[in-house]
Amino acid sequence: MPSAATPEIVVGIVANPASGRDIRRLTAKASVFPTAEKANMIQRLLGPLGQLGVTRVLMMPDATGISAGVIRAVRTHHAQRLPPWPRLEFVDIPLQDGAEDSVTAARAMAAAGARLIVVLGGDGTHRVVAGAVPGMPLATLSTGTNNVFPDLREATVTGLAAGLFATGRVPPERALRRNKCLHVQVGDRHELALVDVCVTRMAHVGARAVWSGETITELFVAFAEPDAIGLSSIAAMVEPIGRDEPDGAYVRCAGDGRTVWATIAPGLVSCLGVAEAGRMQPGVDYLVATRRGSIALDGEREIELLDGEGAVVRLALDGPWTLDVGATLREAVSRGALGGDAVRPPDP
Amino acid sequence: MARKITYQQAINEALDQEMARDQTVIVMGEDNAGGAGSPGEDDAWGGVLGVTKGLFHKHPGRVLDTPISESGFIGAAVGAACNGMRPVAELMFVDFMGVCFDQIFNQAAKFKYMFGGKAETPVVIRTMYGAGFRAAAQHSQCLYNIFTHIPGLKVVVPSNPYDAKGLLIQSIRDNDPVIFMEHKVLYTMEGEVPEEVYTVPFGEAAVVREGDDVTIVAIGRMVSFAQEAAASLQKKGIHCEIIDPRTTSPLDEDTILESVENTGRLVVVDESNPRCSMASDIAGLVAQKAFGALKAPIEQVTAPHVPVPFTDALEDLYIPNAAAIEAAVTRVKEYR
Amino acid sequence: MSETLNRESLLEAYRTMRTIREFEERVHNDFATGEIPGFVHLYAGEEASATGVCMHLTGDDYIASTHRGHGHCIAKGVDPVGMMAEIWGKATGTCKGKGGSMHIADLEVGMLGANGIVGGGGPLICGTALASKIRGDRTVGVCFFGDGASNQGTIFEAMNLATVWNLPAIFVAENNGYAEATSSTFSVACDNIADRASAFGMPGVIVDGFDFFAVHEAAGEAIRRARDGGGPTLIEMKLSRYYGHFEGDQQTYRAPGEVQKLRETKDCLLQFRKRVTANGEITGEQLDAIDAEVKAMIDGSVVKAKADPKPAAADLMTDVYVSY
Repeated sequence: MPSAATPEIVVGIVANPASGRDIRRLTAKASVFPTAEKANMIQRLLGPLGQLGVTRVLMMPDATGISAGVIRAVRTHHAQRLPPWPRLEFVDIPLQDGAEDSVTAARAMAAAGARLIVVLGGDGTHRVVAGAVPGMPLATLSTGTNNVFPDLREATVTGLAAGLFATGRVPPERALRRNKCLHVQVGDRHELALVDVCVTRMAHVGARAVWSGETITELFVAFAEPDAIGLSSIAAMVEPIGRDEPDGAYVRCAGDGRTVWATIAPGLVSCLGVAEAGRMQPGVDYLVATRRGSIALDGEREIELLDGEGAVVRLALDGPWTLDVGATLREAVSRGALGGDAVRPPDP
Repeated sequence: MARKITYQQAINEALDQEMARDQTVIVMGEDNAGGAGSPGEDDAWGGVLGVTKGLFHKHPGRVLDTPISESGFIGAAVGAACNGMRPVAELMFVDFMGVCFDQIFNQAAKFKYMFGGKAETPVVIRTMYGAGFRAAAQHSQCLYNIFTHIPGLKVVVPSNPYDAKGLLIQSIRDNDPVIFMEHKVLYTMEGEVPEEVYTVPFGEAAVVREGDDVTIVAIGRMVSFAQEAAASLQKKGIHCEIIDPRTTSPLDEDTILESVENTGRLVVVDESNPRCSMASDIAGLVAQKAFGALKAPIEQVTAPHVPVPFTDALEDLYIPNAAAIEAAVTRVKEYR
Repeated sequence: MSETLNRESLLEAYRTMRTIREFEERVHNDFATGEIPGFVHLYAGEEASATGVCMHLTGDDYIASTHRGHGHCIAKGVDPVGMMAEIWGKATGTCKGKGGSMHIADLEVGMLGANGIVGGGGPLICGTALASKIRGDRTVGVCFFGDGASNQGTIFEAMNLATVWNLPAIFVAENNGYAEATSSTFSVACDNIADRASAFGMPGVIVDGFDFFAVHEAAGEAIRRARDGGGPTLIEMKLSRYYGHFEGDQQTYRAPGEVQKLRETKDCLLQFRKRVTANGEITGEQLDAIDAEVKAMIDGSVVKAKADPKPAAADLMTDVYVSY
């Protein structure tokens, strides 16, 4: 254990228990991401975090088995006298069994001095956490095959990079990248999206996910890469935009427009008609033309659009900070931060 | 001279003829065809002992192989019966009722009554029973008595090829759930069986042999042993009347009681274990309803109250036989 | 696929959910007076699930239900007046007073029975679906079961069989959080029932069972897929029951205020009302009128049930066999 003089180095972990189970399992071939695997990923984070000197990890509690799995693992880990993990604690929040849990948990972690939050989930989970704690660096881990924003990466490596950043071995200007985001305003309601804002004809938010290309009327994207999965791939087919470019893009769909093929969900390549597409400038309000339907944020319908209710979308360049795992590790190597006795030896 | 076929062929022929007559008749069970999903031939087995062989190709799409999931497919047969089908499901060995009994006794048997008469469940569950194959305790039991206990089920126990065909056709046409018990040793038994379609009604016992001295009520395979014993006793001047109930539910009480009224002596032969058996049930029936006619205590010839053993030395002791029947008849005949 | 539910469908959905709620609240109140015999398990709180699923079904499709079956019966079209008489043990009941709350069935509308055996319905629905498939008539079977039944072997066998035979069957797991007095977080080893679907080679999805629109959309897609020959689906509804396992259950195993909070924040009827009136599809007055009509109908059913005769002694012996 660190001595009393050692400052606390705190890292948060938010793992969304609900991710990876929506209707796209039925309408497409999206993967089921088991609870047990989420618990395993957290264990694979705890190893490098502990070895690099992170002293305390704050986790979001849940009633679906992730926390329970990690607690069991902590007990056996201690019993086997393996290299120590950080002290694991759960933030004390009243569970609502919904997205609001991620919000309150992330805020509690920020209040407790977390230097970074590791998020396990999909685009939607990252959107919620980013909205809750603006400015907080996020290490992103995708739990599933249906995401664009988070890294689809081995958790051990993310844990190593997170530890290097949290312990100050790699400074923020080398470890972090700034992301774009999209602001949506409907009446008094303001929402954030990290990847795409999709307007559909579906009147109700219903099963949340947008799973059929035919229902899409408009799409706004912060970035659109042709090798991405999900709705942003539609824009990528007509107006590709890199993650680091200072623009966004919009697309208006119509049955009689030019047709494009897009990988809108795992196993689902849809043919859509595009009537118009172009670049979005940051800071400019783009009006939603659809009068009646619903608006999906990062793939999930969140807002029911009432008749005549105006909606605008705006691209911003000052979105969340995320950990660039590759850049962090390259920097650590160049600084010798992972050589010799840089990594804490196991306690006797 | 009528045609002779085996008990097994008689069952196959009944299924074949009913499937041809009625498109709602479907057959399902573990390896009822055999070879599903395998690289080799279809209809590889036609049932574990070949009873359903050939039906798969004659009736495409209506002979279904199932996973080894007795609750699943026996229940599916019950559900299909509620939805317009006449399924014949094969529970390979009756011993496996332990893993699917709920679907039989809580579901199929109860629907009509529980739903106020508004459900019909015309399902047949064919199942193999009985000792003699050195198959030991979990593949040899004789459990028709347990089904007989349950209101809502009908229980059929054919003792010969003729009855097997006629009773199976009746079972398929019947609108209640029927448990059709096939003794595995009888599959090779030959007998005269008409080629044409016919039915044997439920609840009508067969008087297999007439006689005035002792009534023998024998069930299933035990009918043959009773006949053997009666032939031997005939030479000693004892004339046995043999009654084969053919169905234990409904049970033809009248034929049994009338015979005992005439002979005054009763031996019941049942391959089941003795407690709560058909033997004790029929003995109780006669004691209650024909007490005045009895000239001797009722004898029950049953298996002992032990599981079915494996080795021939013990299994042969376990199964009731002609000698035991002959001894019992002799005892009741000589009782004073 | 339906982009939107029309006004008529929305009103029908609300009427069904309201009828279930009114029926259950009424049984709850009357049971407390001691007049209703036997065991009663109430569906209040879970209305969106039965309603959102059954709206996609016709009378030729089958459902199998659970001991908590009143909602499924009503959603599938069983007459609530007959149901009320059945629960009161009257000769005029759906099952002539021989079944009771736990066994209400009406095969004429494709309702294969509430079921006193936990997990009993899975194999049965494989059977009705098998008949559908053999006839090729595009009908389907839906098995409703709870988190308790999700741990029964019959459900595992049925899901396996449904995939092996590629049956038009939909498995709807209504995870209300408790099997009797035991939490599903204790009893379901993998926590999400839907996660088991992949082991049986079928898609598994989780749906907010308080949200009629979410249920309706997911169920519609699963049922369409089944009708088209696409095979079985598992849908897990995350929801809760407002009353105990059975009437009389003191529910000391639940958190204080748990149900009250659900009623205030998640209730399917409140959510529905808020959503359809907010976007102007339906007015509050229209919904109020349905509330009043339903209440009058349920009131009438109770008056009639109380007045109706009990079965005669001779009825004890009938309906065991078609012929014997």
